[in-house]
Amino acid sequence: MAILEVKDLKKSFDNQEILKGISFEMEKGQTLSILGSSGSGKTTLLRCLNFLETPDAGTISVNGNLLFDGAVGHEKGVDLREKRLHFGMVFQQFNLFPQYTALENVTLAPKLEANGKSDEEIIELGKELLVKMGLEDRMNNYPHQLSGGQQQRVAIARALALKPDILCFDEPTSALDPELTGEVLKVIKELADQHTTMIIVTHEIGFARDVSDEIIFMDNGVIADKGTPSQLIDNPSNERTRQFLANYLK
Amino acid sequence: MFANVTLSLLEGFLGTLKLFILTLLLSLPLGLLISFGSMNKNPIVRLPIRFIIWVVRGTPLMLQLLIIFYGPGIFFGMNFWGSGDTGRFTAALVAFVINYACYFSEIFRGGIQSIPKGQYEAAAVLGLTKGQTFFKIVLLQVVKRIVPPISNEVITLVKDTSLARVIAFYEIIWEGERFIKSAGIIWPLFYTGAFYLVFSGVLTLLFGYIEKKLDYFK
Ligand SMILES: Nc1ncnc2c1ncn2[C@@H]1O[C@H](COP(=O)(O)OP(=O)(O)OP(=O)(O)O)[C@@H](O)[C@H]1O
Ligand SMILES: [Mg+2]
Repeated sequence: MAILEVKDLKKSFDNQEILKGISFEMEKGQTLSILGSSGSGKTTLLRCLNFLETPDAGTISVNGNLLFDGAVGHEKGVDLREKRLHFGMVFQQFNLFPQYTALENVTLAPKLEANGKSDEEIIELGKELLVKMGLEDRMNNYPHQLSGGQQQRVAIARALALKPDILCFDEPTSALDPELTGEVLKVIKELADQHTTMIIVTHEIGFARDVSDEIIFMDNGVIADKGTPSQLIDNPSNERTRQFLANYLK
Repeated sequence: MFANVTLSLLEGFLGTLKLFILTLLLSLPLGLLISFGSMNKNPIVRLPIRFIIWVVRGTPLMLQLLIIFYGPGIFFGMNFWGSGDTGRFTAALVAFVINYACYFSEIFRGGIQSIPKGQYEAAAVLGLTKGQTFFKIVLLQVVKRIVPPISNEVITLVKDTSLARVIAFYEIIWEGERFIKSAGIIWPLFYTGAFYLVFSGVLTLLFGYIEKKLDYFK
């Protein structure tokens, strides 16, 4: 069964349709990348999955459970928060909490969630995640003491700490200096190798080719093309995809 | 003589201090409430509150003191504040609390609105409730940002308490002035300045300390 099934998702802002019926599925342990030119709706799609925006229509199901149905809308409160935890989100701008150390950023939400785990266990898990991100000697630093690449890796650890079914990345390296993108892409690649289920919006086409099981090309609010990296990037058959790649290579 | 004057002025300073402390204790929480009102999505709540803030910030505190103290008697013919010092004190306190709550509310509003949207979104995707988001994420960041402007207001308040003299509220300048009539000397009045200076100096140090304490994050 697909871990995620999105059907005919629609979203408008100010009477302008930004997502015009997005449907796709993905399997557990897979990495899905989303490419597309600026304004094509990639961020909006991720925000709908994380319920930062409420879709106007369509359905979202995780592990066969219907999480959202546009015909019904969202119920408020606890329910929405629980549904949200199926997804993790890594933002372009990191959005770390400045008054907390790296480790506290990672452990804050699990501690508040309090699903039977002791604080010690949660701290152990947090340290483990930060070690995995290569930040063993940065755990007690505050965000402003960290480089952009380090901050983004803390943000990834923070999202992983809640063990989401699907981890979403919105251009995780776009806010970074070029020499810092490598360290972030490296940990994402490691996560992919360990079969973390991920959706990655990126402009790093080379990276998408290396890391993805499947790539979606979005254009103007629809999925214009879809395929494995070799189909979509190395041998694009779709005219729009070709144009996009040609522009990128220039 | 000097010791006598100092003691008298200290007594007057107690009046100043009482007005100062009670104004702060009441206007800070009231200001927070007003700031929520002024950010309310519903214009029926927001607009009247913004209007009141505009009136209060747009007119002199001295005028507000006079209107609040004499207004009820003049317009409604009633002795609302009662007679004597307690009445004067209450009227002064009400005027100061309203005035300062409005100023503080604008500082709070600025502080709350300066928190980037990304902080709320990061909290939301981590499953935090609205309450957790405010208390665990937003509040301390707001506090850090508003300490300098609040500190300015508080030091202004120290000096503004002297305005309460217009409704014959007993405070330190009143006491200082008394010596002109009773002993024909003017230096006690000037000497009151030293009390204000020492007190605002202490407050400056205190706020500097708080700012420093919050320096550990950016
Ligand atoms: N909250 C909003 N209100 C109004 N319009 C919005 C809102 N969010 C997004 N849009 C519009 O939706 C369109 C798609 O935006 P989106 O951010 O999803 O694009 P994107 O594919 O992520 O682009 P980029 O590559 O530049 O990040 C844009 O035209 C944008 O102006
Ligand atoms: Mg985007």
